[in-house]
Amino acid sequence: MSEKPTVTDEQLIAAFQGGDDRAFVELVDRYKDRLVNFVYRFLHDMTDAEDMVQETFLKVYKNKHAYREIAKFSTWIYTIAGNLARSELRKRKRRKTYTMSELSFDNNEFTPVDTGKGTEAIVFNSYAGEEIMKAIYNLPEPFQTIIILRDIQELSYEDISTILDIPMGTVKSRVNRARLKLQETLSYLKE
Amino acid sequence: MQNTDCTFICEQFTDYQENSLSSEIRAKVDTHLASCSSCRDVFQELISVIDSLHNFPTLKASTDFTSTLLSQIDTLNQETVWRKIYHASYTKVAGYAIAAGLIVAIGINIWIDPISTIQGGVKSDFAGEQTNQIQSEESLAGVTDSSTNLTADSLMLQNTTINSQNQSVQLVSGKK
Repeated sequence: MSEKPTVTDEQLIAAFQGGDDRAFVELVDRYKDRLVNFVYRFLHDMTDAEDMVQETFLKVYKNKHAYREIAKFSTWIYTIAGNLARSELRKRKRRKTYTMSELSFDNNEFTPVDTGKGTEAIVFNSYAGEEIMKAIYNLPEPFQTIIILRDIQELSYEDISTILDIPMGTVKSRVNRARLKLQETLSYLKE
Repeated sequence: MQNTDCTFICEQFTDYQENSLSSEIRAKVDTHLASCSSCRDVFQELISVIDSLHNFPTLKASTDFTSTLLSQIDTLNQETVWRKIYHASYTKVAGYAIAAGLIVAIGINIWIDPISTIQGGVKSDFAGEQTNQIQSEESLAGVTDSSTNLTADSLMLQNTTINSQNQSVQLVSGKK
């Protein structure tokens, strides 16, 4: 488990707002993997995901003074990245460029990985991974976003509520319904 | 899901799995799951899906991610600096351009017609008179060169002066 940083994200963004560009670089280092991981789940393309995360950081850089300390930095940056990703996804779906059969996933993404919890924890196989990703892709947009935030990014209900600007109760019920929908879609895998 | 009980139980699954139900509802779910194989299957599959999602491989940004981003920011900053310079000096540059244009225009005018540009312009009504005076001076030069017939020359000079005065009057009255 990684150690908790001594300087908080909020302190870093405050330093950046005060003109310290090194604080911005530190924030980039803290969030780039998380955000790429997040945006990739919408777009299913690593290059596009990285481009979108770059755009997210550029927005943060240009609009640093738009951040107010009343919100957590993490929820702020997830909101920016999520909005960009969903907007891009909507454009793609409108253009119908990507159909499910055309969706390709990075070949090595679903190869079994050792999570450090022992061999019994290696739960993935390539087939199930792709099926789950496709099932998430096919979920209605609100369910899709909430599953990614909650079950892949493992954010708290409170943070999700802030990012999506919906009440906590709605977040919880939506998570439950999204999970049931996924389970229903994937139930054939058990047969 | 077979009945409203099952629907209610399924709605509790997330809270049930996260241990955030009240003890009363938790007991209700426990009792239902013990007797309903359909809901039990759904719950087990749900747990399996959640586990799978939690174990999704973590993707990492490429190694040159930060350097690419920083170079984009450099470009952005340069553009911003140039834009600021442009906006700040726009008025000055426009002023200089107008001034330079005027100087060039005046310069060309002087080059084409130096005398009228310098002397003329202001008292344009007298331009004709001045020209005729020059002509008179030229006639006078002709008289000085002639040494044989002074009287005739003087008469001619007088006539020329009168003529030039008449011309001046004509020119001035013509302009009016």
